[in-house]
This record gives sequence, structure tokens and C-alpha cells, in this order.
Amino acid sequence: MLLRLKMADQKNYGGGGRKQFVRTKVPAAESVSAAVILVLLVVIGFAVWHKGKVFDPNLYAVRTDALKSTVLAVEGKNGTAPTAAETTPAAAEAPKAVTEKTTGADEPAPEGGAEGSATPNPAEKGVPLEISLTGTKPMGDTEFYTADSLYEKIDGRAPAYQSFNVVALRCRSFAVNAAPGSYVDVYEYRFDNPVDAFGMFALERDPKGKPLEIVADGYAADMGYFFRQGAVYVQIIASDTKPETLAKAKSIADIRAKDLPADDTGLAGRRKLPADGMIADSVAYVPENAQGQSALKEVFQAKYKFNGAEIPFFVMVASADEAAKAWQLFQDFCSKFGTTENLPDVNGGKIFRAQVFGKWKVVYQREGELGGVFDATDEAKARAFIEKYLRGEIK
Amino acid sequence: MSASNPSESPVNRREFLVRLGLTGALIAGSGLAAKKLWQPNHFVPGFEKEKGLQLRSYAPEISKVMPSLAIAHGTEHEKTIRAAMGLLGGMERFIQRGDVVMIKPNVAFDRPPALAATTHPDALRAVAKLCFEAGASKVIVADNPINSPTGCFFKSGLTAVAAEMNLDLMYPETNSFAPLSLDGEVLKEWTFFNTPFKKANKVIGLAPCKDHNLCHASMTTKNWYGLLGGRRNQFHQHIHSIVSDFALMMKPTLVILDGMNVLMSNGPTGGRLSDVKPMNTIVAGTDMISVDAYGYSHLLERDIAELTYLHKAQERGLGNINWKDTLYKEVTV
Repeated sequence: MLLRLKMADQKNYGGGGRKQFVRTKVPAAESVSAAVILVLLVVIGFAVWHKGKVFDPNLYAVRTDALKSTVLAVEGKNGTAPTAAETTPAAAEAPKAVTEKTTGADEPAPEGGAEGSATPNPAEKGVPLEISLTGTKPMGDTEFYTADSLYEKIDGRAPAYQSFNVVALRCRSFAVNAAPGSYVDVYEYRFDNPVDAFGMFALERDPKGKPLEIVADGYAADMGYFFRQGAVYVQIIASDTKPETLAKAKSIADIRAKDLPADDTGLAGRRKLPADGMIADSVAYVPENAQGQSALKEVFQAKYKFNGAEIPFFVMVASADEAAKAWQLFQDFCSKFGTTENLPDVNGGKIFRAQVFGKWKVVYQREGELGGVFDATDEAKARAFIEKYLRGEIK
Repeated sequence: MSASNPSESPVNRREFLVRLGLTGALIAGSGLAAKKLWQPNHFVPGFEKEKGLQLRSYAPEISKVMPSLAIAHGTEHEKTIRAAMGLLGGMERFIQRGDVVMIKPNVAFDRPPALAATTHPDALRAVAKLCFEAGASKVIVADNPINSPTGCFFKSGLTAVAAEMNLDLMYPETNSFAPLSLDGEVLKEWTFFNTPFKKANKVIGLAPCKDHNLCHASMTTKNWYGLLGGRRNQFHQHIHSIVSDFALMMKPTLVILDGMNVLMSNGPTGGRLSDVKPMNTIVAGTDMISVDAYGYSHLLERDIAELTYLHKAQERGLGNINWKDTLYKEVTV
């Protein structure tokens, strides 16, 4: 409301004979401002009333888990993530597994916690890792970590996993009854998709590992078993090389590989890598910009022993149009920095070879599949490898 | 303007002054009340500003005749560590009768010894034995793994050694920490695992030699990271700076680098025996930068030029990266 002040010209009001001021006109701007203020007051009042009506009593409730975290940090310890049994009544009451199977293996991973989430979910949310295997006994509760809290378990190694979009880790240790003091650690890193799980798995691959038959991507190492199943990268690490310990580690690996759901989404390229002559520890995943080409994405590559030479081979699966376009772009790129030549088609695959900076590339495209040999020193062997592959003679 | 409108009734000077005075008094009263209610020294218990501690130096006197670096090659921990210490003049040069010795191992993870991610129990056993032989009255073993100290000590095999050797195994408790003040490059004020230092008068760092995902290598200098509390992972952003700060923070009596089995890849956790390479070497010395320089170039077999934190430490005068320029001795057992 406008304040209007008028000082009347009346001596009995104590004017003291001074000249009187009488306001006779209110400017339009002042009237408009007053109206805006009035409207704002009404809006604010309504907003306060509405907020009060829909008030969430938990909005300012004490989050004890947050306080716990703060206290631990101040005291210098982040501590172990509380176990599901401590924090999840349902989980605590869940019956233990009664057969040689895991429970919760097919359950969804601990939710959220991915980097960037507005409210990281507490690490304690998760399904306990129960493995009922004769001759083993859990050494403690299941531990749960999110991407944000992963450093609490693996400290400086965590960034490597985060770079592949790890979502959660759950882990537990199992004592081996037949070998006092021996145990098996089970780590299950869940990633956002199978491709990322494969990427981390490939990064840490043991060059001496022996391929596992139970899963497509897995190997046995001297002291454990490592494999990818779906979006989960599983590490089963024995405490020593005693036969009893290794036997239990193997049994646990079998159980987990069986119970975790298989999912190879995005790994079609991986399936295209032939097994014949593959050097076991050489498989790698390049999410983007493979061979320096922006069009080459989600590429899988490996090295092969072929006719006495070591042949680096890559493959990508996309739509037929994308593959054709990428093939042409790659050839254009090679022609800028070297020489290229189209070769006769083989079994539906068109091929070019290129010599760039003294190294040979032989690249093919067949429908939605693009692949080739790169950085080869022997052009004839590189070409022979591709032609045999396209004819299905290398499987 | 209509004279009948009350809102437009005239206000005389007296009434105006009265109103003005009342308004002023109201504002002044509000200000006084606010000032009285305001607590300039308000603090939340536990968060008050504290003056941090500064660690004393535990370093021995610099000798111009005794070596500051010893390299011993052998296949057994105890023999090789004895040989290295022998080159330095024996453990008696560093530990005297009645000393309380704190050994700081690297027990960051709950990994079995064979994976070389933690201080090997045989190394701890040998060093503790030498300390007792030199007359130490007590040997404390302390580290602050972020995750489950009991699990880490147990699985690394150090709990068993502590029990066997009657060592004082000191786990980090909630009251084990105190604020530390340091004029470091990034380490200024931070919570620190202080309790062991209240009791010990000698400090020995006993670290494995291993690859590290973030800072290339974890050896004797990086080992002191385990004394920090709080959410220390935030230092990962400045890993080389913080590690070089440890050479300023800690002036130990002695450091020993266990290079018998070196974690060459996938560090700092490892997980596969194929990551581990037997190098059969123990490096001991009074200058952790020299010790680590040897470890990086000769045990991890990498180019010292890339290990930024050692260069940072050297530039600040905290150690000598050119270990060959120091007084050193080498022996094969």
C-alpha cells in the first residue's frame, strides 16, 4: 500500500508558520511498483502456505548414517561399510542358503552410488553374498562399497575401476576348513554394463592365465580365478597355493559363474574375435577413437600367432551403414598419410590395404562388421590372415 | 485530495518526529538484541580450531663415515635384512637399549602376503628381531588401513608375527588421532594417527616395493600415507605433492624397502601372482628419497625421471634422488 504523507497547512498542528508541503500527485511508476510488491507478497504468502501444507517431516530429520560418516571422518576412520545384516532388517532376517548355491546372485546390484548421483546411496544397501559350500565358512559379513566409497577398500586402485564406471563392489571372505588359516576372498565388482566390466577385466588380465571353460571371459591364475559374467567382474583370490584352498576357490568360481546371469550386451565385437592362435592376454577393448579414428568405437582387438608372425587384429560391430562409412573414412585417412589400394572382395567382404608410416594395415568391411590387421610388418601375412578369416578358416 | 480520507489526514511536525523517533528506537533495539544474541565465538564441540602437532625428528645424526644407504641381495628375508643392516653399521647404530621402536608397515589392504601388496610378515619378523637384539624394550607396529584394520593385519600375516614376537600391535582407534600441522605443499592441517608416536622414540618405516595406479610406485615415502586419517583419498588429486610432503612430515630413524618380491603391475592392490616378480633385494637407509630412487630404478625397473614425487622432494631439499652420490654399500648374501 502506498504511503501517502500530507502535511496540512494548519497552524494549530504546529506548523510553526513554515511553508506547507502537500502531495497532490502519485507517479505512475510508484503505483506500478506498489502493485508489483503487493502481488509478490501474495505470491510469497501462498508459497509459504503451500510449502507448509506439503511439508515433509523427514526433510530436516537427522540422518544417523550421515552423522556416523562424519564422526568417522573426524575421528580419522571411514571404517568398514556396515553390513547388510546391521542395516537392512530384511537382509538380516533372510535365511542362509541351504544348498550349494548362492543366494541373491540374480538380485539387482546395490543401487546407485555411481559418481555424480545427487545423493549417493549408502554403501550398506545390498544383498549379502551367501555361498554355502561344504568345507567353507564365512569369515565375516559381506562388505559393500559404491563407486564413491570404493577407495575405502582398494584405495589407490579405485580410480582405475571408476574409469570403467564401476557401480558397486561387494566382497566377502570364506575360511577353508581343510586348511586352517587359509581363506578365499570373493570380490564382485558390478559395472554399469558388460562392456565396461570386460574393459576392467581385460586391463588386469593375467598374461599367464589359463582360459576358463565356465565363462567366455575368464582365466585361472596361480592363486585365483578371474572372470566377467554379465556386468560383473569377479575376482576369487585364494590366500595361498595349498591344494585345499585352490580347490575351494575353484568351486566358488564355478558357483558364481553359474549363478550370475550371463549378459554379453555390447560385446558382439568380442564374439567376433577368433580363438585360433589368439594370444591369451592380448584381448583389449577400446571404447572410442580406436586406431585414431573417431568412427571406430567399441572396438575389440587381440594379437594372434599366425604363420610365425604376431598379428594385431581388431574388429567392430555396428550397422551396415556405419561400418561402410567407417571403412571409407579409415581408407581416406590412410591415403592422406600413406598409400592405399583396394583388394578383391573375399566372401562378401571388401578390403583395402594401406601402408602408413612403414606399417601395413589390411582392413575389411562385411555388412555390419569392420575389422582388420594393423601395425603389421609383413603385408603378405596380414593379407593372408584377413582373407582366411573372411573365408571362415580362422575361427 | 479529499480531506475526509483518513489516510490523507495531515501529520504535524511533532507527530512526525515522534513516529520517526519510535521507528529509530525500534531499529536500534533490534540491532542491540541481535548483537546480544550473536555468538562471535560460536563453535560446535569437536570442531573447534585446534593447534596441530608437529612431529619431532627421529633421524639419527648424520655420519660422514657410515653409509646412509645399504643394498643387500639374497633369498631369505632375515639374512638379507641382517646383511643390509650390517652394511649400515648394525641395528645398534639406530636402536639403543631401552628404546621404544615404532615400525610402520604398509598394511593398506587385506591381501595375503604372497601377493606383495603389503609388508611381508617375514620382513616384520626380521626387523623386530633385530630391534630386540639391539636392546629395544618394546616394538610397536602401527598402521591405519582405511578398511578394517584387524582384517588387514590378519590377512597380511602381521597379526601372527606380532603375537609370535610379542609386539605391541596398535590398531587405529577413534581416539588415536590428533591434528597435525605441516607447512607442506598440500599437507597443511590434517588428522594424524598419533598414538604410536606418544610412546615411541624411534621410528622405522618398513615398506614393500610396489606399483601404484596413481603415483607409479608405493615405497618407503608413500608408506607414511598410512598415518593420515580422515577422507585422505581427496589427496589422490595431488598425489605427487602429498607424497613429497611425507619427506617433510616424517624424519624416521630408518627406512627399509622390501624388494624381495615386487608387485610390478596392477598396484597397489595386485591380486595375481603374475603381478609379482622376485627381485631378492632389501634396501635400507636413512634417506627415504635415496632408498626409493634405487627401488624405482632397480626393483620396479622404471625410469626415475617419471617419478614426480621424488623430484619434488629433492627440489625441496628433503632427500637425495641421486643415490649413487650418497655413501652406499651393496652386498650379496
